[in-house]
Order: sequence, then structure tokens, then C-alpha cells
Amino acid sequence: MIEAAKTIRAGEEMLAEIERRSGQDVSSCYQCGTCSSTCTATLAFDYPPHLFMRLLQLGLVERALASRTAQMCYDCMTCSSRCPVGIDVADVIETTKNIADESGRSRPPKEVALFRRLFLRNVCRHGRLHEAGLLAWYNIKSGQFFNDLSLVPLVLRKKKVHLVPPRIRQRRELRRIFRQAKTKPGAK
Amino acid sequence: MRIGVFVCQCGTNIAATVDTEAVAEAAMSMRDVYHAESIQYSCSDPGQRQVIAAAHQHRLDRVVIAACSPRMHETTFQRAVIQAGINPFMLEMVNIREQCSWIHEDREVATTKAIDLVAAGVARVRGQVPLKRGRVPVVGEALVVGGGIAGIQAALDIADAGMPVTLVEREPTIGGNMARLDKTFPTLDCSSCILTPRMVELKHHENIRLMVSSEVTAVRGYIGNFEVDIRKKATCVDEEKCTGCRICEEKCPSRAPDEFNAGVGESKAISIAFPQAVPLVAALRKEHCRQFIKGKCGVCKKVCPADAVDYEQEDELHTEKFGAIIVATGYRLFDWEGAYPDYGGGLYPDVITSLQYERMLSASGPTGGHIVRPSDGREPRDIVFLSCVGSRAESVGRPFCCNVGCMYIAKQAIQTREHLPDSRCYVFYMDVRACGKGYEEVYRRAQVEAGAVYLRGRVGKIYPRGDKLVVMGTDTLIGDQVEIETDLVVLAVGFAAAEGAGELARRLNIAYDGYQFFTESHPKLRPVETTTGGIFLAGACQGPKDIPASVAQASAAAAKAIRLLSREDLETSPMVAEVNHMRCIGCFKCAEVCPYNAIEKQKLHDGRTVAVIIESLCQGCGLCNVACPPQVISLRGYTDNQLISEVVEVLR
Ligand SMILES: Cc1cc2nc3c(=O)[nH]c(=O)nc-3n(C[C@H](O)[C@H](O)[C@H](O)COP(=O)(O)OP(=O)(O)OC[C@H]3O[C@@H](n4cnc5c(N)ncnc54)[C@H](O)[C@@H]3O)c2cc1C
Ligand code: SF4
Ligand code: SF4
Repeated sequence: MIEAAKTIRAGEEMLAEIERRSGQDVSSCYQCGTCSSTCTATLAFDYPPHLFMRLLQLGLVERALASRTAQMCYDCMTCSSRCPVGIDVADVIETTKNIADESGRSRPPKEVALFRRLFLRNVCRHGRLHEAGLLAWYNIKSGQFFNDLSLVPLVLRKKKVHLVPPRIRQRRELRRIFRQAKTKPGAK
Repeated sequence: MRIGVFVCQCGTNIAATVDTEAVAEAAMSMRDVYHAESIQYSCSDPGQRQVIAAAHQHRLDRVVIAACSPRMHETTFQRAVIQAGINPFMLEMVNIREQCSWIHEDREVATTKAIDLVAAGVARVRGQVPLKRGRVPVVGEALVVGGGIAGIQAALDIADAGMPVTLVEREPTIGGNMARLDKTFPTLDCSSCILTPRMVELKHHENIRLMVSSEVTAVRGYIGNFEVDIRKKATCVDEEKCTGCRICEEKCPSRAPDEFNAGVGESKAISIAFPQAVPLVAALRKEHCRQFIKGKCGVCKKVCPADAVDYEQEDELHTEKFGAIIVATGYRLFDWEGAYPDYGGGLYPDVITSLQYERMLSASGPTGGHIVRPSDGREPRDIVFLSCVGSRAESVGRPFCCNVGCMYIAKQAIQTREHLPDSRCYVFYMDVRACGKGYEEVYRRAQVEAGAVYLRGRVGKIYPRGDKLVVMGTDTLIGDQVEIETDLVVLAVGFAAAEGAGELARRLNIAYDGYQFFTESHPKLRPVETTTGGIFLAGACQGPKDIPASVAQASAAAAKAIRLLSREDLETSPMVAEVNHMRCIGCFKCAEVCPYNAIEKQKLHDGRTVAVIIESLCQGCGLCNVACPPQVISLRGYTDNQLISEVVEVLR
């Protein structure tokens, strides 16, 4: 049972923070469900995106902060591109996740944290994602050496993954961006 | 006698279940039938031309069309036969669609039935004689019953077209429910700012006579010629003398319920409903007045500076003639208390109706525009709105939608934020219906700008906790129960027809539905006409409606009335009753039953007194035909012989 008047009042401040940082108006969501019907990650979520929005509307911010949704959303932005109101749903989720991380309210699952770290290192090093490298490192670091190994011949044949890492110009500039980002509050 | 039979296929509407060729073939063997054929769409232009051509070619003098209901197309085919040089009343329509093909599945059975029906039609048309329409003059004045926004609009439109109008309003002032509203969706403009000018214009219009505190007590006559009895109730105040100073109201010692303010606050036995009332005249309610209950008081009479109070005043009876009548008696709120014990059934003072809330929002209302809890006069912080109370609920016998609840809740939520910036509104809803122009925007404004929290679900129970109320509901979006401890609950109560609407409908002889809303003649194509010629509908008396829809319907009804009033005379139906004077015994049973006073006594040369039908008054209802003991009255076009021969054919 939700004591709506109380929860809304209690969550007011946190919600305002999420709205300010994401620049989105959560009250304008009219619960059509488009975001959830196109979301590519709901199988990993406890609340599909529209319910995530509803939690915030009813002031149940703590539930949203502690949700798997906040941690598992990988920002594919499909929801944001399809929302008929024009809400950047992914940004709302991402902002909620950031607040959760900063305040230590919730920690990403071990594998998720590892994946994120390796992903960023990979991009920082090559300027673009080198999938084969990320895959290899992830398997080594997580100890799951044979994860998805059977797929390797197929993705190589279809040229989905390249063994040689991509190169971009001005990699030094990129590193500077990364260094600067690390000094921002909440960054790790 | 040469009869032609035309069997319509109506595309596949008829042909799918009735073998129209077989029907035409069977018709060929009927007596006096010289031509029969099946036509694909007889009402289409080529179809009608086919009928006309055949009539010429076969020198027909009578036509039977076996097709749809005569209500659909009788006039179409009457026009066609006139072009073929045949009297329009020598046409008989046989309904083999609504009464045959649409209701049967077995092709063989349906075909046999169609043949029987055609045989009956042929038998009837054989007894038909050419008839001629008469003419009656039209009374050029309109009556409007009910002075809400719909009645006001209709009266002004007709009066502006140069025709005299009488507006009869039951209350001491016009304005109706719109006068009680503070602001109006979708634009949220002030209700009285847009309504009052119209009320004043109506009062001063040279073509309008306003009769307040009046009711229609009887209606006789027919389209173009109604005779109406109007009773003007005694209000103990001389309308001509009263200046509207309200001193009487101030000094009156007798308290009375405040109906205009929906029970928020109190009124006096003598009062003026609101400052912009038209006419601005006090009215005394005897049932609450000390002078009438105890026999002594007389304060108002003493203090009135205009000497307008008259305790001896009596009801006035007027009888007037009108050519057209527009009914605009509006609505009231459903009596929710008995139906919703779970919401306190009226016992909790802080559970109020939307109309009461509306009066609180109004700056000229009983709280001076302050939103307060009736129980303790405190400003509420949390306000819960419940939509669909007494709407969309079979269990309380109100299955229909109130049409305006969703919108006025959104409006009131926006206004609440303006009045009390620290408050929050919660709205329990099932669906939000915001279909009009600019309506969705109001709803979104309530959510996004005014911060109203919409919860999808009905409320199961309301109970008091301390000085607050607990509302137990659900939010099906999150899939959980929701409980709100709140200060005030506002119920969006559904619409009911005006008090006495059914009785008025019976007086006017118009149809009404199970909820006493008046029924239009056709839900799509004749939305302002009633089933009685010359009587039209406007506003919420026909069904729940908002102001834009009420005004649009009022103007439409006015246009229909103007069309009627602008005619000098009307054609009458020739299908009227006829008395065989040779055999009339002069008992006048017929005159007793005739609802239209269309039967007169006449003395003949041989000294006998017999009944005579006044053709311009007779509506062809046939009551006298049945009542006549020696059976000497018959209805033209429906003579006993014709009907009997029809029945014989069907039974053969
Ligand atoms: C809380 C609330 C808020 C609303 N807000 C809005 C809004 O913001 N915008 C909007 O568009 N609509 C709104 N509406 C709807 C609006 O009130 C109606 O659409 C409008 O009043 C209908 O007008 P009417 O003339 O048909 O009926 P009414 O206003 O009901 O007028 C009928 C008149 O006929 C009289 N009468 C009744 N019976 C008789 C009789 N037998 N003889 C003589 N006279 C009779 C009555 O006394 C009354 O004066 C609201 C309704 C409610 C309940
Ligand atoms: S698509 Fe947009 S409006 Fe629809 S539920 Fe998702 S966030 Fe709300
Ligand atoms: S208009 Fe809205 S409140 Fe009124 S019955 Fe319809 S859905 Fe319910």
C-alpha cells in the first residue's frame, strides 16, 4: 500500500534534483508505455521504464534509486527517441543511477561495474570501441574465460568484430577529455 | 386499376436474404398488378428513374415499393410518383428490410415472408384513393422552456431573427447552472463575465418576454399551433416595483437553505440568488417564511423602500399560443448520498460535490472565493478529487459518462493551485475524457503546471481519521493500493435530468429515456428535433453536455424553430379522420377521446346533431376511429377495409 500524499511529499526534494540534473519534467509523463514497449533491456529490469517514471511521479524515489533498472539500463536511448512527449527517459534513469552511485545508496552488481570500467578504458585507449579487446578483457577479468567463445567464428566471419583495434587521430586530446571528466563530482 | 410493384435489393442489404427476383415474379400474379421488377438501389437516382419510366410505360396508377422503412424514404418515392403523374398517396411502402431481410437468416423463409408483405401492400393500395393536403396557419411566436445558457442562447437567436419569444424559467432568475460556475474550461474565462451580458441582453430584448418563477402546466395543439398553460407562481414581491436593494434579505429573520450555492452557506426566506440575477428581484419562499409559518413577522414588508412586498399575491395563470417550442430544462447533480455509503453518504462535512467546490472558488460565492473545509473553516493542504461518482457505474444505475467531470476536475485543480499555491490535488480517475477542442491541453496543464497527481483507479472507501479523511484507492499503473490522508474530498458527481423532467415530457408529449433525458428524433441526423413536430431540444436536458455543446445545440434548435416560424402556413397530412354523417348517432364518444379537440358538434337540416372533424386540427391518431360505437369514423388512407384486406392477405 502506498500512502501517496506522504510518499510524494517525502520524495519531492530528490525528484526535483533528478529533474534539475536531467532537465526533464517527470510529471509530464502520461504513462503511455511506449518506452517500455521498445526498451531493449527490460529482461534485466525490475521496473520497465514507464513504471520507473511512475515510481518517481508517486515520490517513490528510494525504490527507483535502489532498482535494478537504474543499474542495468545501458543507455541505448530507444525509449528517449520514441517517447511521444519527448522525455529523455534514458537520461532520467541515468541521472537516478548517478545519484544512487554518488550517495552510495546502491552499488552496481560486480560484473556491471567491471564491464563499465573496462568499457571506458577501452574507449579511452582506442578512441572507439574495440569489441574483441573488450570481450577478451572482460572474460579474463571476470574469470569466465569461455563466455560466448562459441560465437567468435561467426562474428569474425560476418565482420561484426575486428581483431585489429581501430585508430583515431588526436588520441591525446581524447585522453585529456577523460582526465578532465574524472575530476567531476561523482566520477570514479 | 393498374398497380406496379418494385422490389429493392438495397445492394445486398435485402438481396442477401430475400430472393427479390422471386418476389417480383410472385407479385406479377397478384390481382391488378401489371408490372413488377427487382431494382438494385431503388432510392438512387437511376432507381427512381426506372420507377418513373415503368409507371409511364405500363400506365400505372398505383405503386408499391418493397424496400426499407417508410421513415427512411417515403418522401423520396412520393416525389418520384408525383413525377410519374400519380397522386403521392397512391404509393405504398412495404418494409422488407428492417422487418424482413435484416431479422431473418433463412433465405426461403424470408422470401416467403417478403411475398406475403408485398401481397398485403398490394391489397392496401388497391383500396387507396387520391388524397390532397390541407393547410393551417402558423403562430409566429416561440416558447423557450428553461433559462440556462441553452435557453438564453436559443431565445436570443430567435428574437434576433425578428420573431417574438417567451422564455419560461422556473426559478426567480435565469442563468441556470452556468451562473454557479466560477471559471469555465477550456479557456478558463470567468463564467459570469460571459454569461451576465447575455442575461441582461435577453431581459431588454424587445422581442423577448421573460417569465420567471413560472412553469408550463399543460400543452395542447400541434406543430405551428400549440396552446400552452403557464402558471406564474406567487413570490410575494411585485416584479415591477422591486429595485433589488436586498434590504429585505438583510433584515429577514427566517433562515432558509441556500440552493443556489448548493448548500454552502445559508440564505433567507426572502432573497435574491446572486448579485447578477436577472431579473434582479427578490422572491419569498413561503415554506421557510415566519409570516406564513407562524402567521406573524412582516419585517420585509415593513423595510421594503419600494413597497414591493405583497403577502396576498396569488399565482397567475396564462394561456398563450406558440408555433414552436424549445425545451432547455438542463440538469441537476445525481443524488449521490444514498448510492455511496462508502463515501460517507453525505455524513462527512469535508466530502463535498464539485458544484459546492465551484461555489467556494467563486469570488462572489458564500466563502468569498476562499477554499475552506466546511467542518472547521481551515484551508486544506491536500485535496482529493474523485471522478465518475454516479457515472459509469451500473451498480448505482448510472451507466453513462457525465461528459464534463474530467474537464472540470482539471479546471478546478488548476484553480486550486492558483488559490492555494502550497496545496496539492490528487485525482482518482478511470479514463480521462478530454475530447473537445483545447481540452487535452487543459488536462495536461493540470498535471504538468498545477502538479495534480492523477491516480488511475476508483476509490473504494473514505473514512475519517482524527480531523482528516482517509481515501482508500488504487493506482493500477503502479499496480498497488493507494491511501491518501487528506483534508478535503471533492466528488465529481454525475448528471441527472432536471427535477420533474419526465412530467414535463409527458405534458409536451415528447419521448424521454430511462434517466428522464429527452430523446432526440435521430441520434445522428435529427439531434435537436423531438419525435413531436415543432418541439426542439437544447442543452443538457437531452443528455450531459458542456457549455460549448449546449450553446451549439441551442443555436441549431433556434434555426429549426425560425425555419418553422417563418412560414405562413403548414401543409397538413390528409390522413385524417372522417365521419359518415348518415350513420352517426351523435353520442360524441369520439369528442371525449380526441386529444387535439378536433371534433365539433354540427346540427344537420334533418334536426340530428352529428360529429364533424376539424381537419386542420386532426392529427390522424385514430383514437376516435376505435371509440365510435357504430363504427362510422374511418381514417383516410387507413380505412377499416384497407386494414382488413391487408390482414387477410397475410393470413392467406
Ligand atoms: C461542477 C461543474 C462545473 C462545470 N464546469 C463547466 C465548465 O467549466 N465549462 C463548461 O463548458 N461546462 C461546465 N459545466 C457544465 C455546464 O454547467 C452545463 O453544460 C450547462 O450549464 C448546461 O446548460 P443548460 O442551459 O443546458 O442547463 P442548465 O444550466 O441546467 O439550465 C436549465 C434551466 O432550466 C430551468 N428549468 C428546469 N426545469 C424547468 C421547468 N420544468 N420549467 C422551467 N424551467 C426549468 C432551470 O431552473 C435552469 O435555469 C460544469 C458542470 C458542473 C456540474
Ligand atoms: S514513453 Fe514517455 S510518456 Fe510514455 S510512459 Fe514512457 S516516459 Fe512516459
Ligand atoms: S466525464 Fe470523466 S468524470 Fe465524468 S463520467 Fe466521464 S469519465 Fe467520469
